[in-house]
Amino acid sequence: MSELFKNIIRFVLLIFVQVFILNNIMLNGWVQPYLYLLLILLLPFQTPRWLLLMIGTATGWIIDNFMHTPGLHAAACAAIAYLRPFLIGMLAPQGGFEDTTRSPSPATMGTGKFVFYAGMLVLIHHVIYFTLEVFNFQATPYLAMKIVFSTLVTLLLIFVYGLLFFEKRPRRR
Amino acid sequence: MRNLILFIRRYFNLLLFIAIEAICLNRVFSQNPFQQAWFLQFSEEWMGRLYQHYADVMQYFHLKQVNESLLAENARLRNQLLQDFSFPDTSRQLIRDTAHHRQYAYLPAEVVNNSIVHASNYITIHRGKLEGVHAHMGVVSSQGVAGVVVRASDHYALVMSLLHKDFRLSVRLKRTGDIGYVRWDGEDPTTALFSDIPRSVALYKNDTVVTSGFSVMFPPGIVVGYVEKVAHQPASNFQVARIRLATPFSRLRYVYVIENLQAPEQLQVESNVVSP
Repeated sequence: MSELFKNIIRFVLLIFVQVFILNNIMLNGWVQPYLYLLLILLLPFQTPRWLLLMIGTATGWIIDNFMHTPGLHAAACAAIAYLRPFLIGMLAPQGGFEDTTRSPSPATMGTGKFVFYAGMLVLIHHVIYFTLEVFNFQATPYLAMKIVFSTLVTLLLIFVYGLLFFEKRPRRR
Repeated sequence: MRNLILFIRRYFNLLLFIAIEAICLNRVFSQNPFQQAWFLQFSEEWMGRLYQHYADVMQYFHLKQVNESLLAENARLRNQLLQDFSFPDTSRQLIRDTAHHRQYAYLPAEVVNNSIVHASNYITIHRGKLEGVHAHMGVVSSQGVAGVVVRASDHYALVMSLLHKDFRLSVRLKRTGDIGYVRWDGEDPTTALFSDIPRSVALYKNDTVVTSGFSVMFPPGIVVGYVEKVAHQPASNFQVARIRLATPFSRLRYVYVIENLQAPEQLQVESNVVSP
């Protein structure tokens, strides 16, 4: 299965899951997991940055249209799509990751680095999204709780996704 | 141009990111009612503050100008303060009458200093030589005789009050025409002594005492006071009466200085008689 095809499947699947399952989960108003941004996280290493930006923005835009939150997800997704290459460059070993046609995963990056990578980008996305959504700086503690809990739950869902789909060990060529 | 293209190529992703974020945020703030309201309020508030700071800074550059205009205004207002002005009374209103020969002119003046508690009391009036006041002019209030000018400067004159131990005034009993003189005994600023009235004259309470017109200072008939109490002096052919002074010296505010237009002539005639 080619990487392109895999990414398209993932795109459709994640947006479907996000819109029809996760958006209906509202735990106390504090937890709003946004698993869909995993598809930005899992785009292949070699994806050009402009394409990353475009795909990220388009993803956010689609989610926005489903959730009636014009611009909010698009802004957050564009931000993580822009920051993603910098984070990867920071985490990459000397000479870069060996197979740039593949996606970031515990198998290709190492579990610790991947957790850091996913955690950072999810946190950034959630900070931007919830800040824009709540937009009430008198309610900062509420906003902080919302960001923290949602980030943790999103990461938990990424972990579940990983149990289902990530490969157990690096594939040898 | 080439550099511009290079710049765009080099920072293409950043520029693209900024453009996308701008579009997204524009969408956020234009299509979400809550965020839109917040943004409008925010921008209004901060634009207001910005303009406020701008004005605060700019006003420093105008401080000198503002100070100068304030100084000018202060000076102008100070110059309008009434207390800084001196108003010697200069009014002089005479009615020309060809059928009669005017002898006396009244010059109004404000009392600026006055005493009643000493043995020798003086009144200072705000009208001096330049306004036609000189020594030996009579001074009356609207009720009666007040004193005589003893000295005049350019804008002020010192008036010997009737309440002065050396003051002597030739008077006449209005009802009978008998003459006498009035002096102050230094006791009560509301009363004085009316002396040298022949014993033959019957004095009654409230008889009016007026000026005789013998001196050049006062015209005849000006009220001096009213008889209060008659004191008979058994060993004398004259009697003394205490009179209630017509002028309220304790609350004297305005007086009239009497100018005798024919005083020089009268004095000259009299001096010719006396001098040889």
